Amino acid sequence: MNKKVLSVALCGVMAMGIPTVSAVAEEKPYEGVTLTMWAGNAEYNEGTKAVMEAATEALGMEFQVEINPGGSEGDNIIKTRVASNDLPDFLCYNSGSKLYDLNPSRAFLDISDWDMVEKFDDAFLSSVTIDGAVYGAPQSSTQAGAVIYYKPDYEELGLEVPHTWDEFVANCQALADAGKTPIYFTGGETWATQVLFLGDYYNVAAAEPDFAENYTNGTAKYASTPAALRSWTKYEDLVDFLNADKSAATVSDGNLAIAYGDATHWFILTQQLPMIIAEADNPDDIGVFGVPGDDADNHGLTVWEPMSFYVNKDSENIDAVHAFLDFYYSEEALDLYFETYGANGPSCIKGYELPESVCNAVRVDMQAYFDEGKNTPALEYVSPIKGTTCEQLTTAVGLGQMSGEEAAAAYDDDCKKSAVQLGYEWE
Amino acid sequence: MKSNKEKSLYPMWFVIPSLIIFGVFFLWPIITSLYYSLTVWNFETAKFCGLDNYKLFFSEHAMSSSVVHTLIYAFGTSILKVVIAFFIAIFLTSKIRTKDFIRSAVFFPNLVSMVAVGLSFAYMMHPTKGLLNSVIQFFGGNPVDFLGNPALALFSIIMVDVWKGLSISVVIYIAGIQSIDKTYYEAASIDGATSWQQIKSITLPLLAPSQNSIIILSLIGGLRSFELIWTMTGGGPGFATDVLASVIYKQYAAGFYGLSTAGNVVMLILISLIAFPLQHFLNKREEAIQ
Repeated sequence: MNKKVLSVALCGVMAMGIPTVSAVAEEKPYEGVTLTMWAGNAEYNEGTKAVMEAATEALGMEFQVEINPGGSEGDNIIKTRVASNDLPDFLCYNSGSKLYDLNPSRAFLDISDWDMVEKFDDAFLSSVTIDGAVYGAPQSSTQAGAVIYYKPDYEELGLEVPHTWDEFVANCQALADAGKTPIYFTGGETWATQVLFLGDYYNVAAAEPDFAENYTNGTAKYASTPAALRSWTKYEDLVDFLNADKSAATVSDGNLAIAYGDATHWFILTQQLPMIIAEADNPDDIGVFGVPGDDADNHGLTVWEPMSFYVNKDSENIDAVHAFLDFYYSEEALDLYFETYGANGPSCIKGYELPESVCNAVRVDMQAYFDEGKNTPALEYVSPIKGTTCEQLTTAVGLGQMSGEEAAAAYDDDCKKSAVQLGYEWE
Repeated sequence: MKSNKEKSLYPMWFVIPSLIIFGVFFLWPIITSLYYSLTVWNFETAKFCGLDNYKLFFSEHAMSSSVVHTLIYAFGTSILKVVIAFFIAIFLTSKIRTKDFIRSAVFFPNLVSMVAVGLSFAYMMHPTKGLLNSVIQFFGGNPVDFLGNPALALFSIIMVDVWKGLSISVVIYIAGIQSIDKTYYEAASIDGATSWQQIKSITLPLLAPSQNSIIILSLIGGLRSFELIWTMTGGGPGFATDVLASVIYKQYAAGFYGLSTAGNVVMLILISLIAFPLQHFLNKREEAIQ
């Protein structure tokens, strides 16, 4: 008898339990939806993971992420997948000139009518807009191609932040005399060796304001434009100041070398800052300055727009991606992202202030260039043409295996190849 | 009459399936790639451009130098394998105690995947942290930048390729040596021949068929080699270790499909130009000996 009462009572509890569960399910509109994403390790970071978890909590969708191996391997994979219509629901890829290579109108959804687009600043929007259609949404903050340096070395030797290239070389000499490694060079991961060349564009644009336009038309060449040739010959000045394992060092090695002060300077994208600071004893030990030019009064920063999320035009889950991205740009999710992971540079969300927890290298050092207006977008956001062997050439010049002039001439040929492929008529 | 008809029926039906497979999967792609190498194409359109792709391929140093690197690589690995494997095989067929163990030890590198070999050797050849340089420094030498020095990089990779690929050649040689009739050696030793004379006048000539297979296999393998170079240097530093296969891959990755196809045609022609005459020559040599 007792058993019967118990079983009836249990049935009652179960019956009551069922409606409670289904009520919760109704609050999460995308319960059971699994979104597939393709992104590199730098984009699928702790911050992104935290926001995804929060989104699963609030909206119900789950995520399945494929990792992009990066560099030209990654480019190859994604180009092939675009061509064969084998894309995930959304993916992370460069904005700017590399976006053109993916033939975005064929593969990606035009999101210009989504509300979130109004939050993005103009510089970012112009890097993901092609023929009036907006394809991308920023994955992170802006970043710069600049020098990340270890401040305690500067304090120890009483050095000042250099504002001209000559001052910079003099600082390197002083560091070398003191037995330190002035510059870290990561020839084992060739993309990273381009940053001095690409980050020097602020100085090229300052000296030759029309360079981007003439370069795109095929009338301005690196080898024959003195200010642009300087971007290549700067590598020659540094050959004697590099780390012993310059030909094999990787970007992860670089993070540790700067964090621990094994080397003083590193020409690298500031997307590495969060990873360096995670390793450093004191976040304030790490600083940033722009690639120095020849004019001490005009020392500026070359800025990269963040990687972007692109939505697969043929995805069955466009609504869920839309809801996730709406969530991604909410104040709380942005705070969650930047507090968990840190920032690469000032944000490109209009009116959004980075939280206090973000390092001084971003909120003081980099912000100063933005406040003074001394920043310019990198060439790849102004011109669709970028030579494909750039990273091999910068590695060869950096290791002292080729002169700056030779590399500049080879790069001009290489750009011609890309231009022809994109349909430009270069002579 | 009847037997004649049966004879002609029998091979025809046997050949057709493989002929179809060969035609669809080998012959047709070769013909279409010849056409596409004369165009600028993507997955939707193809624009005819004559010989521009070939001109570009040979005029740009980064690409044309790959032909030279490929030849150095193929002949370097092939010669080293043929010579070193011969002596190892002689050693392993002689009367030694630990023969079986050494045979498996020699064969072991071949069981490891090319990518794993490439990555491990790249670590071992690291200029500051690598095992090889630790050993060199222990004995008081200066560290060597095996993969970062453009004059050395290609040879460093050749050495690794030989280390890994040697075993196949050794196995072929051993099989060849064991099939040589022992009576030749008995007769020679009764006549008072030294072991070196026996190797020179009996083993070497009678091994010609095995040696020919090794030469052809290792040479063609070397001409189309990719994984080891890609994992160890990615064609770098600069373009110092770029071979045809890695250049083709890079052009494809960059979206220059026409150029990449032209590179493939160049590779096909290069391999044919070397392999067919060589095969002919080696067959002649074999017949002459027999």
